[in-house]
Amino acid sequence: MLPQRMKKAVTDNPKKLANLIDLVNLPSTLRDFIGQSQTSRLSCFMRVWSYIKTNNLQDPNNKNVVNCDEKLKGILLGKPQVDLAELPELIKLHFPKEPK
Amino acid sequence: MDFETHRQESQPPKPVSLFKSPCLQEAKSIFNSIVKSSNVPNDFRFHNSLLQSYASVSTINDSIAFLRHMTKTHPSFTPDKSTYHILLTQSCKSTDTTLSQIHQTLNLMVSDGVSPDKVTVDLAVRSLCSAGRMDEAVELIKELSSKHCSPDIYTFNFLVKHLCKCLTLSTLYSFIIEMRSKFGVKPDLVTFTILIDNVCNAKNLRETLSLMSVLDEEGFKLDCYAYNTIMKGYCKMGRGNEAIEVYNKMKEAGVEPDLITYNTLIYGLSKSGRVMEAKKLLRVMAEKGHFPDEVTYTSLMNGLCRKGEILSAIALLEEMEAIGCSPNSCTYNTLLHGLCKSRLFDKAMELYGEMKSGCLKLEMASYATFVRALCRAGRIADAYEVFDYAVESKSLTDVAAYSTLESTLKWFKKAKEQGLKIGEHI
Repeated sequence: MLPQRMKKAVTDNPKKLANLIDLVNLPSTLRDFIGQSQTSRLSCFMRVWSYIKTNNLQDPNNKNVVNCDEKLKGILLGKPQVDLAELPELIKLHFPKEPK
Repeated sequence: MDFETHRQESQPPKPVSLFKSPCLQEAKSIFNSIVKSSNVPNDFRFHNSLLQSYASVSTINDSIAFLRHMTKTHPSFTPDKSTYHILLTQSCKSTDTTLSQIHQTLNLMVSDGVSPDKVTVDLAVRSLCSAGRMDEAVELIKELSSKHCSPDIYTFNFLVKHLCKCLTLSTLYSFIIEMRSKFGVKPDLVTFTILIDNVCNAKNLRETLSLMSVLDEEGFKLDCYAYNTIMKGYCKMGRGNEAIEVYNKMKEAGVEPDLITYNTLIYGLSKSGRVMEAKKLLRVMAEKGHFPDEVTYTSLMNGLCRKGEILSAIALLEEMEAIGCSPNSCTYNTLLHGLCKSRLFDKAMELYGEMKSGCLKLEMASYATFVRALCRAGRIADAYEVFDYAVESKSLTDVAAYSTLESTLKWFKKAKEQGLKIGEHI
């Protein structure tokens, strides 16, 4: 089981929180998808997830899997199918850690 | 309940403000035209309401000038104490960090021959506290006590209650001691109850005990509220035995326990794993004519869930609904949490559906447990759906909801790599 402490960690940790909600300049692929030049990791995730829902991209036989359309493929490493479980991680790839 | 509705009904509709601009010149001409056009009642209340209306849009200096104008053009109007109180309340609301505006008003009041009294002190302290200006409230209460009039116990307790939130204990105590030695304001049982509540909330057992011994030395006879507060403190610290001791002491002292007493005790016992004893109290309550409410039942369910007796908790839900006591969001969250812990996912989904149709909010703990349980069962899409609901229903901020989901998925991936078979535990 996940340790109790982890539940609070992210919102309490200002650095991690900033990492989630700070506006970041987007790479061109993502810019085309989102239609904005800047966004935060959180709102990017929300955007992609609502895109999946509005276009009914979840596999009808297994809701845990997303069948990517061309547009989605462009931002998710070109994979034809993506597991919902790995979605946050794939989006995180577009938001590299700032060099210290 | 009755009281609530009554209060809502008796609240007057928001008056349409006569003065819309803070401009003094405009206000003066409005006043002049009122005086000219109609028979102005020679009643200070009429003038006061005009002043009140103008004060709500203007600065304190303009309000004072407006008052001067009113007394000059309408000499039959003599301002009384409440007129100055309007100005005082206004000056307390300003964002100024000094007391200069308040001093200005008080000086005006005194020079016009009206001396500040207990009501003045009370108004000033309350408006300063509600504007979040605690330091000024302390400064002013001392000043007014030494110059004019010491506060009554209600004002004092109100201030102490607010100070609890922002002062350290030692500063708070020295304030209380100073008020007592210099101005003769004696803390009463309510003051002590507030203090005990404060230290109990901070789980400071040592201080609670020392406060209780002070209470004893001062010869106070505890009332139901004081006992309830002390009991709540012990329950929060998970000390069921002490809570029961307080309950017994209370009975010995001949203080009749109320619904809050029983609810507190049931909560405390459930929390420290003594849910069977808590359940017995239900009968005792009923004998005394107190009927268990949703708080009582939720505490019991919490206790049962802690012991893993989720099915009894569900049975209790049916029992409570049968007697016409409707569960609240806390009840549902407790049960959802318990169901997930006991891995009864279908029942959890069913309960979650009920919560959704009742537009009830999710709490952080039950949300996190639920999402984790769903991921563990391999139902990622459902976990996403719960995430959506948590955000849509404004149960949690999207940051909190998302970071829980993300870290759970991360954990899930790691666990899978280490050989946990997802979906096997259903």
